[in-house]
Amino acid sequence: MDVAAWIALCSPAVAVGLIALAGERMPRRTAGLVAAGATLVSFAASVVCLVALAGRDAEDRSEVSTVWTWLSAGDLNVGLSVLVDPLSVFMMLVVSGVGFLILTYAIGYMAGDAEERRYHAYKALFVFSMLLLVQGGNLLMLLCGWGMVGLSSYLLINFWHARRSAVEAGKKAFIMNAFGDATFALALFILVQHTGSLDFDVVFARAPEALGESSALAILVALGLLGGAAAKSAQIPLHTWLPDAMEGPTPVSALIHAATMVTAGVYLIARTSPLFELAPSISDLAAILGGVTILVAGVIALVQTDIKRVIAYSTMSQIGYMFVAVGLGAYGAGMFHLMTHAFFKALLFMAAGVVIHALAGEQDIRRMGGLAHELPWTYRFFLIGALALAAIPPFAGFFSKDAILASAANSGGLGWTLWSFGAIGAFLTALYTFRLLFVVFRPPMSDFAREHLHKERFEGPLAMMWPVAVLAVLSVVGGFLQVPGLWHEVDDWLGPAAESIEEATGVTAWFSALAALGLALLGIGLAWRLYGRPSEAPARLRARRFTGWFAHAFEQKLWFDRLYDFLFYRPASRLASGLGRYVEKPLFLTTLTDLGASVRGLSGRVAAAQTGVVRGYALMLAIGLAVLTVVFLLVS
Amino acid sequence: MAGPGIAAYLIVSVILFAIGAFGVLIRRSPLIVLLALEIMLNSGNLALLAFSRHAGNEDGQIFALAVMVVAASEAVVGLGLIVAMSRLRADLDVDKLTTLRG
Amino acid sequence: MEETFVWIVWVLAATALFASGLAVVLFHNPFYSALSLIVNLASLAVLFLLLTAEFVAAAQVLVYAGAVVVMFLFVTAYLGGRADAPFAGGRTLQRLAAIVAAAAIAVEVVVVIVLAAGDRLNEVPEVPESFGSPASIGTLFLSDHLLAFEVTSIILLVAAVGGVILGSTVPPHHHPPSRGER
Repeated sequence: MDVAAWIALCSPAVAVGLIALAGERMPRRTAGLVAAGATLVSFAASVVCLVALAGRDAEDRSEVSTVWTWLSAGDLNVGLSVLVDPLSVFMMLVVSGVGFLILTYAIGYMAGDAEERRYHAYKALFVFSMLLLVQGGNLLMLLCGWGMVGLSSYLLINFWHARRSAVEAGKKAFIMNAFGDATFALALFILVQHTGSLDFDVVFARAPEALGESSALAILVALGLLGGAAAKSAQIPLHTWLPDAMEGPTPVSALIHAATMVTAGVYLIARTSPLFELAPSISDLAAILGGVTILVAGVIALVQTDIKRVIAYSTMSQIGYMFVAVGLGAYGAGMFHLMTHAFFKALLFMAAGVVIHALAGEQDIRRMGGLAHELPWTYRFFLIGALALAAIPPFAGFFSKDAILASAANSGGLGWTLWSFGAIGAFLTALYTFRLLFVVFRPPMSDFAREHLHKERFEGPLAMMWPVAVLAVLSVVGGFLQVPGLWHEVDDWLGPAAESIEEATGVTAWFSALAALGLALLGIGLAWRLYGRPSEAPARLRARRFTGWFAHAFEQKLWFDRLYDFLFYRPASRLASGLGRYVEKPLFLTTLTDLGASVRGLSGRVAAAQTGVVRGYALMLAIGLAVLTVVFLLVS
Repeated sequence: MAGPGIAAYLIVSVILFAIGAFGVLIRRSPLIVLLALEIMLNSGNLALLAFSRHAGNEDGQIFALAVMVVAASEAVVGLGLIVAMSRLRADLDVDKLTTLRG
Repeated sequence: MEETFVWIVWVLAATALFASGLAVVLFHNPFYSALSLIVNLASLAVLFLLLTAEFVAAAQVLVYAGAVVVMFLFVTAYLGGRADAPFAGGRTLQRLAAIVAAAAIAVEVVVVIVLAAGDRLNEVPEVPESFGSPASIGTLFLSDHLLAFEVTSIILLVAAVGGVILGSTVPPHHHPPSRGER
């Protein structure tokens, strides 16, 4: 099983190496096949690990395999190690499985691009980094994977580096993630200092004594971890990078910014749950952040006009649900939602990618319309994804979201507040999702689409369509893995790693489920009314005038970007230019140039003494002689 | 020794040296400068001979002869330079001959 | 008697020395300067004789007055009018400084001689008859100071060659016809 785990981790790395070293000698399509093939190998190895783990008793399902001691300083020993336990295998399966599907899709999507091989290499690098993150056997390995996924994300966001907007989006993402990395690292420092180790079991065992319950130290550690998680998962207030990250190619958005990287924060909280349980206030804070994000992202998504940005804000919102879950202690529900979300969000992104591909790169939904007739299968897949996202049974999203809401209902006052956030969120989710669906796919067909639509024999290349189909199937059946009230496969599986809280049962559970479902259907209905029928234009206008100010605020993304620009960017750039003008230039530059100039001046003046007039020299001689004679006289 | 003492000869030598130095420093014609230079050399010779008489040693006289040889050679070369300069139509003014400088 | 005679000769020679020296330095006409140099050299020869350096005195007259000054006169004649350079002029500071420097040197050394070494210079030993005679000088040249003797002859040779080269005009370089040309 250890061997399988290492194979799972290293096969994408081998792919990166192969593609990078082969360079132009490898045909383009082969590069994509190598990357996707390596991910498939990882998936197979993960399945092997799953089977091996399942064969063991529940208490025995955790194994760390260390290859080499990397860091050895005094008592601290950190090794290159890999952890195989229920939680990591769960994530491995999601990452490599969905990753394989998306990489295959990308072969078709990126075919013909000028730098296709680089893209596949970066994708493989990302898969490797994400696997390192989830398989890391100690906190340092996790941090390494954490940093590397940030790097891969940066590389892939500004893949089309000639575009200025893409470059700036990449920088923004990386810098915000770096902030999270810093707080994460600070938490690790405290842990090293007080527990003397970075291995999971050692830290978790020593933490209650070393840090204390709800002490300042425990709060600091949890806060640092939360900072990293919030930055990586784009929660309020560190969320502004995610919409801009849509500058990357669509498969990148699907893989990194929907299915895997942004869920790393959720994984982190689940993995370090013992530490969060030592600081309940921070756990609650995580849940509150998630709840706020559900609402904020939901309303902003209502007014977005870029197809990918709508889905991006939706991602933000759904991760908010996951944060609510893990913040309240319902780790199983949170991870379950992570899995189903990976399915239907990747599906949505990829279907959107088919649309974008068919319209030769257009992403503005105001120019789309009536595509259902031309792209029927894409429409059906998108519909399945939308239904799953809106949490309509029997699609996957219903079960996972319901699990979260049920757990929230069982968590006291805070829980009920968050439940209400989640319920309103369900309404908003349905509204913006079906707005998107109706505007893009319902007739009439827009003029733009009529001119620019082009498709091959089928709606898109085959390499693009079949992964989408697979994900659609998963979105339908994936939810049955855990049905609240009936069976809790996910909770049980993850139990040894992260003990989940009890869900509500009985009347509360039914109430929660039905209320959420009702709100979702209400949202769909409202969307139909406003956007589904073209003749309803007056209704749309009426709604618009009423919500005019709100709409403006939402379009401005609630002014978060402006705030950060004012708080951080302007002072920093002013400081930099001020230092440059008042410190560096006068102190360093001018000193050097003045030094050179003064030496030159001095030597010029000395050189003037060389006149070439012999009489002058002779005079100097005579004067010198006179002086010397006096000196000799005095000395002797 | 009859006549004034050695000190007198030395004083004469020094005054002659000063006259020669004054001439070198003040004249602008290279020819005259060479003449003044000869006067300076001769004053040195006088001092040498005075000390040689004072010490009763003839080495001073040998030295004076050597100095004379050197002065003659130097006069030859200096005059040759002046002749060459005049052939090149250079201005025979010490103040104008200033190319030897850094 | 002899003492007085020597003193008179000495005073006369010294006066002539100073006068001709100043004449050399102050005359505008270079011809007159050269002629004054002859007088200078002659009075020096007298002083040399008073210091019992007969050979050196003779050599002085022969070499200096006979050869070097003649050379000067030849060159002056060759240069003609161009030998007359303007008197001093130029920088006033230079003139003033020159006077001061020369005077300073003279005064200082006089002070030295009078103050520091006044007494010791009064003891003059007796010398044999042959002191300063050509025979003894010649003996010294060929025994103790043979190296100086040889080196001075080389110096003269070098100076002669140098003088010839400096004074001659270089003929234009004549290119021999190269192989291929006709």
